[in-house]
Amino acid sequence: MLLQTTDIINSMATLAQNDHAGNVVEHATQAVDHAAAGNMKLALLIPALPILGTILMLLCAIFRIKSKLPAFITVACLGGAFVVTVVTWLGMGEHGAQLVFGFDWINFSWADASSEQSFVANFGLYIDRLTLLWMLFVTGLGTLIALYASEYMADDVGTGYCRFFAAFNLFVFAMTCLVMADNLILLYLGWEGVGLCSYLLIGYFYKKPSAVAAAKKAFIVNRIGDLGLALGIMLIFVQFGTVEYAELFPKVEPLVEAFRAGHMDQIPFTVQLIPVLLMIGAFGKSAQLPLYVWLPDAMEGPTPVSALIHAATMVTAGVFLIARMFPVFLVSEWALPVVAWVGTLTALFSATIGMAQFDIKRIMAYSTVSQLGYMFAGLGVMTSTGAAFHVFTHAFFKATLFLCCGAVMHGFAGQLDLRKISGLWNMRGWRIVTIAMLVGSLNLAGFPFTAGFFSKDMIIAESFVTPGYSAIGWILLITAGMTAYYTFRVFFRVFVGPVHFEPGEEYEGDAEGHGDEGDGHGFHPHAPGWAVNTVLGVLAISSLLAVGTYFINTDQHGWVGSMVHDSSAYMSPLYESHGVVEHDASGHVEASSDVRAGGTFFGLNPHGGVLYYVSAAFGLIGIVIAWWLHYAGRTEAATSRADNLALTKGMLARGARGKWFIDEIYDAVIRKPLWVFANVLYWLDQLLIDGLVNLFGWVPRAMGSLIRPTQNGQLHGYAAGMAGGLVVLMVVVWLMSL
Amino acid sequence: MMQTLAQAAYPQAMHDVTLYHYLFVSAGMFVLGLIGFLTRRNMIVMFLCTEMMFQASGLALIAFSRFYLHHTGQAFVIFVLTVAAAEAAMALALVVLLYRKHSSLDGLLFAELRG
Amino acid sequence: MDYLVNPVILYSLVALSGVGVWLTLPRKGFNPQILGGLIAGIAVGGIMLALGLAAGDHAPNLFFYVFAAVALGAGLRMITHPRPVYAALFFILTILASAGMYLLLSAEFMAFALIIVYAGAILITYLFVIMLATQGQTEDEEQAQAEEYDKVAREPGSAVLIGFVLLAMFSTMLGRGMESLPTPDPARVDAVLGMMPLKIERDMKRDGLIEADEKVAGAAGVHMETRTVDVTSPRGGREGVAMPADLHASNVQSVGFVLLGQHPGAIEIAGVILLMAMLGAVVLARKKVEIEDQAKLDAARLMREGGSL
Repeated sequence: MLLQTTDIINSMATLAQNDHAGNVVEHATQAVDHAAAGNMKLALLIPALPILGTILMLLCAIFRIKSKLPAFITVACLGGAFVVTVVTWLGMGEHGAQLVFGFDWINFSWADASSEQSFVANFGLYIDRLTLLWMLFVTGLGTLIALYASEYMADDVGTGYCRFFAAFNLFVFAMTCLVMADNLILLYLGWEGVGLCSYLLIGYFYKKPSAVAAAKKAFIVNRIGDLGLALGIMLIFVQFGTVEYAELFPKVEPLVEAFRAGHMDQIPFTVQLIPVLLMIGAFGKSAQLPLYVWLPDAMEGPTPVSALIHAATMVTAGVFLIARMFPVFLVSEWALPVVAWVGTLTALFSATIGMAQFDIKRIMAYSTVSQLGYMFAGLGVMTSTGAAFHVFTHAFFKATLFLCCGAVMHGFAGQLDLRKISGLWNMRGWRIVTIAMLVGSLNLAGFPFTAGFFSKDMIIAESFVTPGYSAIGWILLITAGMTAYYTFRVFFRVFVGPVHFEPGEEYEGDAEGHGDEGDGHGFHPHAPGWAVNTVLGVLAISSLLAVGTYFINTDQHGWVGSMVHDSSAYMSPLYESHGVVEHDASGHVEASSDVRAGGTFFGLNPHGGVLYYVSAAFGLIGIVIAWWLHYAGRTEAATSRADNLALTKGMLARGARGKWFIDEIYDAVIRKPLWVFANVLYWLDQLLIDGLVNLFGWVPRAMGSLIRPTQNGQLHGYAAGMAGGLVVLMVVVWLMSL
Repeated sequence: MMQTLAQAAYPQAMHDVTLYHYLFVSAGMFVLGLIGFLTRRNMIVMFLCTEMMFQASGLALIAFSRFYLHHTGQAFVIFVLTVAAAEAAMALALVVLLYRKHSSLDGLLFAELRG
Repeated sequence: MDYLVNPVILYSLVALSGVGVWLTLPRKGFNPQILGGLIAGIAVGGIMLALGLAAGDHAPNLFFYVFAAVALGAGLRMITHPRPVYAALFFILTILASAGMYLLLSAEFMAFALIIVYAGAILITYLFVIMLATQGQTEDEEQAQAEEYDKVAREPGSAVLIGFVLLAMFSTMLGRGMESLPTPDPARVDAVLGMMPLKIERDMKRDGLIEADEKVAGAAGVHMETRTVDVTSPRGGREGVAMPADLHASNVQSVGFVLLGQHPGAIEIAGVILLMAMLGAVVLARKKVEIEDQAKLDAARLMREGGSL
C-alpha cells in the first residue's frame, strides 16, 4: 500500500514539475523520499498515545482511582506524543509530504458502465510541515495544560477527574486525526471528534444548567458548520472522485492553472461551490460570524479546557482546514474575499464586545474570536504564512492568558469580575501569574518586538499589499488598537493597583473568620501551586521566545513560514497572478517592478517596515488609553475613570455590553420561528398523521367492542351462539327451499 | 307381549311415516336437552342435558338403523355411548375441580375465558 | 311427504308447546310449572295425535306413544327440576323410555346396553358427583333451600325460542324427501346368517328338517338368496333343503358381526378414548396432598432401609 501511494506521489511529482517548468517555486507536496518513509512509521504513535491515554483513563475510572494518577498518565502520554512529534519533525529534514499508512479503514470499489471507481479512506497520515506545525503546538500545549489541569482539577479527584482527562486525551487524539489525516473522511472523523470532546468538556459541570446549555449550544452551532463541511467533502468526492489529499491536489492543479490564466469558464460551478461549503464548516468550528456565538458561552467549561480547546487548538481547526485545502479555495473567485471579510468583521465585532465585558474569561473568549478573525483575514488575503504564524503565536499567548485567568478564578473561588479583584501583584504568591499575564497581554496587544506584534503585522501588511483589501487593513489596524485597550484594561484593573478582592460564587464562607486582612471578609485567596506556576512560566517564556522563530529562515518569513512553505497551503505561483510581490529575505522589496501591481500604504511598501511603526503606534495608543482610564489615579478596585466617561453610559456601550444582542436576535429570528414551525408540525403530526393511524387502530377496536360482549366467558353464551347459529342456518335453508 | 315389543313386524321394512314419529321424538328430546343446557346454571345438570342430546341422537340412529334394516346404525350408537362415557368422566372431573375452587356449581362463576 | 300434518297446525302446536316449556322453566315469584307442563303435554300430545291420524296404518304401536310421553315428560321434568339429584333420576327415566323405544325398533342389544351403561354406570357417577358436591348440607337444609342458581332459569325466553324454532325446523326438515328413500330389502337382515352354518344346522335339527347325522356343508353350503342349504351326510348329501321361515339372525349376532367385522379400528380407538378419559379424570380430580418435609424424609429413609410405612 505504501509503495502504491509513493508511486502515486512520484507520478504526481513529475506531473507537477512538467506543469511548472521554469517556475522558481519548488513544490513541496510532491517530493517523497523512500528512505524516509520507514522512519515515518513512528508518527503513528502520535495518535496512538492519546487514545491509549483515553483507554487508561477509562480503566482508572473503572478501578475508582482517587489520586492524581490520571493526570500524570495523561501528561506522560501527551508528552510522549510531543516527543514523537519533535522526532518526526527533526526526521523530516528537507523532505516534502510523506504518507504513512496505518490500517485499512474504508475501501470500496465498484465499476459502472463507463469506468471503475473506488472510495478509499484509510487510516493514514499525511505528514508535511503544515501538519507538523499544528501537531507541535497541539501536543506541546496539550502536555503543559494537562500538567496545569492536574492541579486545577484537584478538587474533583475521583471519577470526575478521570472523566475530564479521558475527554482531554480523546480530544488530543481527535485533533491528531484532524490534522494528520491523509484524507478528508479521517479529517471529518477528527473534526466531529473534537466537537464531541468540546461538548463533553464544556458540559463537564453537568449539574450546572448554564454549562449544560452552553455545551448544547456549542454542539448545535457546530453542527451547522459540520453540515457544510460534510457537504463540501461529498461534493469533492463527486467532483474529483477521491477524498485523499495525495490524489486530490494534482486533480485541482489544472483548475488552478485555468484560474490563473483567467479561463473561468473552464471551472465548473460545483467546484466553486466546494470552498463555500468548506468555509461554512470552518466558520462554525473557528467561531466566525455568524456562527461565533458558541465560543463565549463555552467558557463554562473548566479553564484548562478553555485554554487548550477553545483558544489554542480546536478553534484553529477552521484555519487549518482552509490552509490544507488552499488549492481548492484558489479556484473560486469569491471564496477568499468572503473569508477575508468575514474574518475582518468578526475581528472588529468581537473586539467591540470584548471592550465592554467585565468577566475576564469572557473578555479572553471574545479576544479569541477576534484573533481568529485575524487569522481568517490573513488566509483571505492569501498570506497563509501570516495566518499560520498568528495561529502559532496566538496558541501560546492565549493559552498563557487563559491559564492566568484560570489561576485567578481558582484562587478567588470563581471570581471573574474585573471590578472585584485588584492588585494581584502586591499579593503573596501571585507574582508569577502577574508576570505571565503581562507577557501574554503584551503579545495580544501587539507590543513591539513581541511575537504577537510580528504575526499580526504580517497579516495587516499583506492586506495592504493585496489590491482591493486596504479597507481590511484599516479595520484590522483599528481592531489592533481596541485589542490593546481591552487586554490592558484587564491587566491594569486586576493585576496591578490597590489590593482588593471579593470571593466568587464558589466561596461558601470561612468558619475561622480572619477578618483582619485585606477586604476579603475572612476570605483567603490561595495562590497557585508549583504545577500552575511551572506551566505559566514555561508558557510565558515560550510566548516570548516565539518571536525568535520570526528570525529563523527569514527568507521564508520565519520558521513558521518555512513550515508552511512546503505545504499545500503555500501556492506561490498564484501570488504573481494576483499581482502580489515576491519578498526577499529581509522583507525589503526591491522597489518599482514588484510593487507596481501590489497595493501600497500611502505610497510606501507595506512590507517595507512602515507598518511596524503604525501598528505599534495603534497598540501603544490602546495601552495608554487603558492605562489612563483604568490605572492612573485608581484608588479603589471597583471604580475607574472609565466609569465617568459619557461613552460608557451611551447606547454603544450598552449594546457592546449586551454583546450586541446577537443571542437574542438569533433567538427571535431563528429559534422562535423554528419553534413555532416545529409546534405546527407537531400538531399536524398529532392530529393528522397520528389521527389517521389511530383511526385505523380505532376501527377494528370499535368493531371488537361491539362484538366483545358476546365473549363473556360464560358457557351458556357460547352454547346459545352455537344453537342460534344452527337455527339461523336451518331457517335460511328452509326459506330457500320454499 | 314381548314379541310385540321386540320383534314387531321384523324384519319387514318400516314405513317412512313411522320413522318420522321416532325422529320427531328424537328432535323433541334434543331440543329439551338444548333448552336445559341454555337455561340451567348447575354444571352437573348442564352435563346431564348434554347426555340427553346424546340420547336423542342415539334414538335417531337406532330409528334409521331399523328403517334401513342395517345394523351399522346400532354399532354407531356404541361409539356414541363411548364418547358420552368419556365426556362424562372428564366433565365430572372438571366439575369436581371447579367445585373445589369456588365451592359452587354455578356455571356463571366460571368465566375466565372472557374476551 | 312434505307435510304429514298441516303446517299451520304443526307450527301452532310447536309454538304452544314452546310456551308450555317456557312456563315450566323455574323462575322467581309466580311459577306456574304444572300449568306449563300441562300446556306442553297437551300441545305435544296434539302433535302426536295429528301425526298418528295422518299416519293411519303406518302409525307405530301404542307402546311408542307411552315411551315417547314418558321420555319427553321426564326430559321436561329433568330440565325444570330445581334439585340436581332429582334431575338425574328423571334422566334415568328418560333413558329407560329410550331403551323401550330401542326395543320397539328391534335393537335389543342396544336397549340393554343403554340401560346398563347409561342408567347403570354413567348416571350413577353423576349421582356420586352430585352427592359429593352437596355433601356439606344436611337433609333439612337441602330440603329448605336448593341453591339459588338451581331455582331460577337463565334467560328462559331466548333459550325456548331458539329451541322451539329449531324443533319447528327439525319437524319440517326431517320429513322432507322421505318418500324418495329406497325401500330396503328385508333379506338383508338375514344376510349375516350365511356366515353362521352351525346356527342354521342347529335350528334345522331342532325343527326336524334335517336328520341328526346330517351336517350343513359350511358357509359355502348356505344359499341365502333361496334360503336353502346343502347338507352332507354319511349316506350322501342333499341339496336345496329349505330353511325354516322364522330362522333369523338375532340382533346381538348382527350387531356383533357389523361391529367387529366392519369397524374393528373404530373399536380400538374407542377403547383408547375411554382409557384417556379415565387417565384424564384421575389426573384432573386428584387432590394435592401436602406432606411435611420431615415426613418425606422419614418416608425416604424407610424406603432406603427396606422398611415399609
